[in-house]
Amino acid sequence: MKFKDYYETLGVGRDASEEEIKKAYRRLARQFHPDISKEAGAEERFKAISEAYGTLSDPEKRQAYDELGRHHAGEDFRPPPGWDTRFWQGQPHGDVDLADLFEQMGFRASQRQARPDFPMRGQDIEAVAELSLEEVVHGTTVTLERPVPQRRPDGSLERQSQTVRIRVPKGVTDGERLRIPARGGPGSGGGPPGDVYLDIRLRPHRLFQAVGHDLYLQLPLTPWEAVLGAEVAVPTLDGRVRVTVQPGAQAGQKLRLAGKGLPRRQEGAGDLYGVLQIVTPRQINERERELYLELASASSFDPRQSFFAGATHD
Amino acid sequence: MTDDVLIPADAESPVDLAELLAASGLAEAEVLELVEFGVLETKGSVSGWSFHARVVHQARRAATLRDTFGLNTPGMALALTYLERIEALEQRLRELQCLLPR
Repeated sequence: MKFKDYYETLGVGRDASEEEIKKAYRRLARQFHPDISKEAGAEERFKAISEAYGTLSDPEKRQAYDELGRHHAGEDFRPPPGWDTRFWQGQPHGDVDLADLFEQMGFRASQRQARPDFPMRGQDIEAVAELSLEEVVHGTTVTLERPVPQRRPDGSLERQSQTVRIRVPKGVTDGERLRIPARGGPGSGGGPPGDVYLDIRLRPHRLFQAVGHDLYLQLPLTPWEAVLGAEVAVPTLDGRVRVTVQPGAQAGQKLRLAGKGLPRRQEGAGDLYGVLQIVTPRQINERERELYLELASASSFDPRQSFFAGATHD
Repeated sequence: MTDDVLIPADAESPVDLAELLAASGLAEAEVLELVEFGVLETKGSVSGWSFHARVVHQARRAATLRDTFGLNTPGMALALTYLERIEALEQRLRELQCLLPR
């Protein structure tokens, strides 16, 4: 079993009072709660903090944890002789996580206090799926490999790997949560099973940015295309289309391609917006330079006209 | 072990009060109060309440915030309101960022 230093996780000493442990947990939770922090790794950090607090805030679990002795975090260790029979029935098998052990222990404690057949709802299974835009367009199936603590006939714990496949329908968007009722961990004492939750995240695309069901594409134009108008080829998720840019196009203007965004759940689709950008060449040849100079002397266009209009002094 | 493909619940089909309570871990009184605060939206009468499927996610979020920070129901209502407001603003920000040249 790999050792986890719950005191270190919460940043408190081994002699910390219940109140100190609670304060440390609240402070760290405020910092790393996934609803509050968007920092990378915040969610993992929050899980570790919650796991540590779940054990250290319960006097019985804390005592059992303390009797495991001091080890380095991540160090492989075995509980001292007799520990398992005093706090747990039977030896944990294979790759059992400390968290599983303490969770089951709490479960046993609450069972003892309540009726022996106290019905408990099974655990929820939560996972994240990172999908490409193409997968969202057509719908897909994601496969999750999850370690699930299983109880052996002798009452001991064992980690088993469980494969879960989930159908993701077309039309999901970034940040959406899918729920599969009653397919999570099994209940006990006649309790119902938990649910499965799948968070959808969209993988960044080379060209398109998704906002809800709409897609945005930066559409660069040359200065003369913007002035004279042009017909340009634009990529979409289902192949390229030709789009007409009207003469006098301005940077930041949106060209809307209706229905070329991401499909919706029922029917229809979002739109694709080409956001016009006017790009100037970094290097020009002699001939181009001559033409620009000629244009400069022939044109009376002044985009800064309004700056000093009506000004009495500079 | 499980070989079949799991099909997610339809985002349009409603969830009843009992299912909402079981899935979220909120107490009935808390749900009633959150409905009164206008944070959770319900369809139908008190006797036969049903909720939009997305309310399950709101309610679970409320319960996590309650457990983590020891919030009471007005605290949960306030936190949910702010979080949803932030998310709406983030969506708007993403939209505006798409208009900037990259």
